[in-house]
Amino acid sequence: MGNTLEQLREQVRGLRAGFESGLAEARDASGLQGLRDRFLGRKAGAVTALLKTLAGLAEEARREAGQELNQLKAEMESRLQDAKAGIEARLLAARLSRERVDLSLPGRPAGWGRKHPLTAVREELEDIFLAMGYEVYDGPEVEDDFHCFEALNLPPDHPARDMQDTFYLAGKASLLRTHTSSGQIRYLLSNPHPPEVRIICPGKVFRRDNDITHSPMFQQVEGLVVGAHITLGDLKGTLEAFLRRLFGPQFPVRFRSSFFPYTEPSVEVDLGCVVCGGGGCRVCKGTGWLEILGSGMVHPAVFEAVNARLGRPVYDPETISGFAFGLGIERVAMVRHSVDDIRLFYENDLRFLEQLGG
Amino acid sequence: MKVPLSWLREFVEVAAEPARLAEDLTLAGLAVDAVLSHGGETVFDLDITTNRVDCMNVYGVAREVSVLYGLPLKPLDLSFEETGRPAGEGLSVAIEAPDLCPRFCGRVLDVRLGPSPSWLRDRLEAVGVRAINNVVDLTNYVMLEMGHPSHAFDLAKLPEGRLTVRWAKEGERLQTLDGVERRLSSGVGVVAGPEAALALAGIMGGASSEVSETTKTVALEAAYWEPLAIRRGAKSLALHTEASHRFERGADPEAPPLATARLAHLLQKLGAGSTRPGIIDEVAAARPRRSLWFRPARAESLLGTRVPEARWQAILSGLGFALGAREGEGLRIEVPSWRGDISREPDVIEEIARHHGLDKVGATLPPAATAGGLQPGQRLERALREALVGAGLTEVISLAIVSEDEAQAGPGPRLPLENPLADVQGVLRASLVVPGLLACLRDNLRHGRRDLRIFELGRVFRGELARPTEEKRLGVLLTGLARPPHWSEAKRAADFFDVKGLVELIFRRLGLGSFELDRQDLPGFLHPGKSALLSWNGLRLGYLGVLHPDLGARFELREETAAIELNLEPILEAAPPAPRFAALPRFPAAARDLSVLCSQDLDAGTLEGWIQTAAGPLLAQVTVSDRYDRPPVPEGQVSLTLSLRYQHPERTLTSQEVQDSVEAIVTALRSRGAEIRGE
Repeated sequence: MGNTLEQLREQVRGLRAGFESGLAEARDASGLQGLRDRFLGRKAGAVTALLKTLAGLAEEARREAGQELNQLKAEMESRLQDAKAGIEARLLAARLSRERVDLSLPGRPAGWGRKHPLTAVREELEDIFLAMGYEVYDGPEVEDDFHCFEALNLPPDHPARDMQDTFYLAGKASLLRTHTSSGQIRYLLSNPHPPEVRIICPGKVFRRDNDITHSPMFQQVEGLVVGAHITLGDLKGTLEAFLRRLFGPQFPVRFRSSFFPYTEPSVEVDLGCVVCGGGGCRVCKGTGWLEILGSGMVHPAVFEAVNARLGRPVYDPETISGFAFGLGIERVAMVRHSVDDIRLFYENDLRFLEQLGG
Repeated sequence: MKVPLSWLREFVEVAAEPARLAEDLTLAGLAVDAVLSHGGETVFDLDITTNRVDCMNVYGVAREVSVLYGLPLKPLDLSFEETGRPAGEGLSVAIEAPDLCPRFCGRVLDVRLGPSPSWLRDRLEAVGVRAINNVVDLTNYVMLEMGHPSHAFDLAKLPEGRLTVRWAKEGERLQTLDGVERRLSSGVGVVAGPEAALALAGIMGGASSEVSETTKTVALEAAYWEPLAIRRGAKSLALHTEASHRFERGADPEAPPLATARLAHLLQKLGAGSTRPGIIDEVAAARPRRSLWFRPARAESLLGTRVPEARWQAILSGLGFALGAREGEGLRIEVPSWRGDISREPDVIEEIARHHGLDKVGATLPPAATAGGLQPGQRLERALREALVGAGLTEVISLAIVSEDEAQAGPGPRLPLENPLADVQGVLRASLVVPGLLACLRDNLRHGRRDLRIFELGRVFRGELARPTEEKRLGVLLTGLARPPHWSEAKRAADFFDVKGLVELIFRRLGLGSFELDRQDLPGFLHPGKSALLSWNGLRLGYLGVLHPDLGARFELREETAAIELNLEPILEAAPPAPRFAALPRFPAAARDLSVLCSQDLDAGTLEGWIQTAAGPLLAQVTVSDRYDRPPVPEGQVSLTLSLRYQHPERTLTSQEVQDSVEAIVTALRSRGAEIRGE
């Protein structure tokens, strides 16, 4: 069977045309496989068969024809690859278009737990003071007279010790602390690095009151800084920095003289009303200011009471000074979340906690 | 306390706008709650702190205003004419109790009783005091104006014109001006006649000597009462009056003669009567003025700001302090008699600061001498809370004071309060779960909530009443669905394994290692088969499991409720060390599953123990991966699938090694009566 180069070329053209029309008809992977078998199959492939006929050609023509056939083969391989990728892409697109979720169905619940809103506020307050180098000190909730009153310059018969304010345990040997200021005394007495103090004492306190603005149990954060040369200016700077962090720099802070038995001078700290912006509203009782912190320079009688208990002058009011402050955690939470009944925080209605929880 | 602006201006010619004045007073420590308008008159409503009894009157506020604005303070006009027989002829006073009454002043007034003029009635009304008659109105007026309460007796009704100041006799009776017949105790002071008590000292007058329409002559009392005596007396009688309010906070010991003079002046001005010559002024215990050492440098170091000398001198002088000459670093200053609240140097510094202006004190930050930060236990507590919230639990905070009745269902002790607020809040909680979390559950169920997963971190109280111990605990309560329902998932009720899983989570997250469970001495409020006590390092920390249905019924719970209550103290104290890294395995593990049929009475843990023993050292882990106890598994039996993982740290295991171990396990389990259903 003698084929001339011309004839061979004619056959190549025919094969190419046949391959192209076969490729156009192939719809899926098996169609492509059939096409491959038909043209490139080792046994019955048309190109393979044609290659076998090259032996009859002259050397020159054989090399030339060989090149052309190999080129045809490579072309077909490449075309098959492309077609295969195209078919796969179409199939994938078709599958993906069928795989369609209903976007409106509810998501699977995750992380539905909540921190109590008061815990969220407390941790935020703690974090602000921790960043300023404070320690967090945790005193007992059941206290005695000395730590809760006597050492804080609240002598017997002081109005704050009235039965209607303080819960006593039966027998009256112990009481539930009425303020976290008792933590100050505990820390001063057990201070690991006297006389330096820089602490906050967050915790629960108890008073015999129960109405829309009073819960028999509520939470305070008390702060105490003691050292050489601690000034009223330090108190101002610290509390301004704290309030700016907590509520934002846009609210003014004012300091006004006040009275607490355990501080002298005593200073009440007001924040420009965060609800009305200072214009006057129900929350600030029309004043434009929110009473937010009580504070003052530690009364020397407090240091003296602690010294007396320690039996040595660890805190000499002549050489050291300090400031203390206290605020209600509920107060911050109530202002922040527009809650007008403090008791909601302790009724544990999940509908409330889930709305506000951190 | 209400102060009309016109009254204030009688003593200080302040021109400031009322709003400005209100703010300046507020910043200086005299909080103005409101600026009111009363019949065209501006009235300040002040909230005076308990220490500033000297400002619970118009003149005291005027003094503050004069210092605030640098204006002169006009003196009170105390002038009057004396006419008639000497006062001492009709009235005598004896102080038998100096610890009750250091000073007693008396005057005798001849009065024409009648209504007060309208200006006086209007003024009283503007500050909320009811006008009665000119004599009583004048005592009120003087009290409101200069702060010292006085009392008018009808002299004709005083037996023998003799007054004695003494402690009441136990059981002595007195009808007070409010018409109440009172039985007195010996802790109450009285002004008495030769026999009976006539008035409650410093608190309220008596009915028998009350000024009435027929009164012609008045015995006027202005005394200085010992604050503590009045406070105790008023407290024991549960009687709080304008007079007791001032006396118990410390009145001005020098004011009594001035108060009588001011009243005499006003009586004459009103044309309502005249004053007899002479004052009765009994001093049983002198109250000299206090003198203090004041160092300007100390003020500067406490305030962090230097107040100019002329400024602090003007402030202190204006407030009535007498300044001595400078001696070295300081000077002696004499405290005015009306300032019982000033007893130490910082008190003086506060006076300077509040009048100089707190806004003039520069804001600084104190230098840090120590490093702050949370203690390890505090960090653990935060991590614990985060873990529980992350696991889908909501934090609650319950009152630490609980109903004794509800607490009965739980563990003791129930430490009672001396003075509970209401019967439902009688004892300190000894448990977080009972009644706290259960009551929370019940209340939420009432709101229609069926599924709850809540926890609380808080303290319980144990031990003795005199010195209870506090224990920080974790309480968890689960009821209803274990997870919020979703359309894609089958619903499943929370059970023992949910709370056990939470405990495992806590122990893993806090790095606590392993815990042990046992059923020894389970408390009665727990389900005997579905709960356990938990121990860690040999310490019993608490319990976990399903609550006894009886307890649930008490709290109106219908569904099974699972709980955890753990003492956190040992955990928070221990502060477990950071975990140490163990080299990751470099060679592949081999896994095998073993299906075992055994008695339901056999704990999976026991089975695992047998497997561990029989398997030899190559078995790295055995876990229960499936459990089935319904047909076709025979009654009383359970089918368990155990997943075994083999691992060698230094080489790849051969299949023969693994097979040998599995066969050893199979042999061991068969010898103990278990049936091997497949491997």
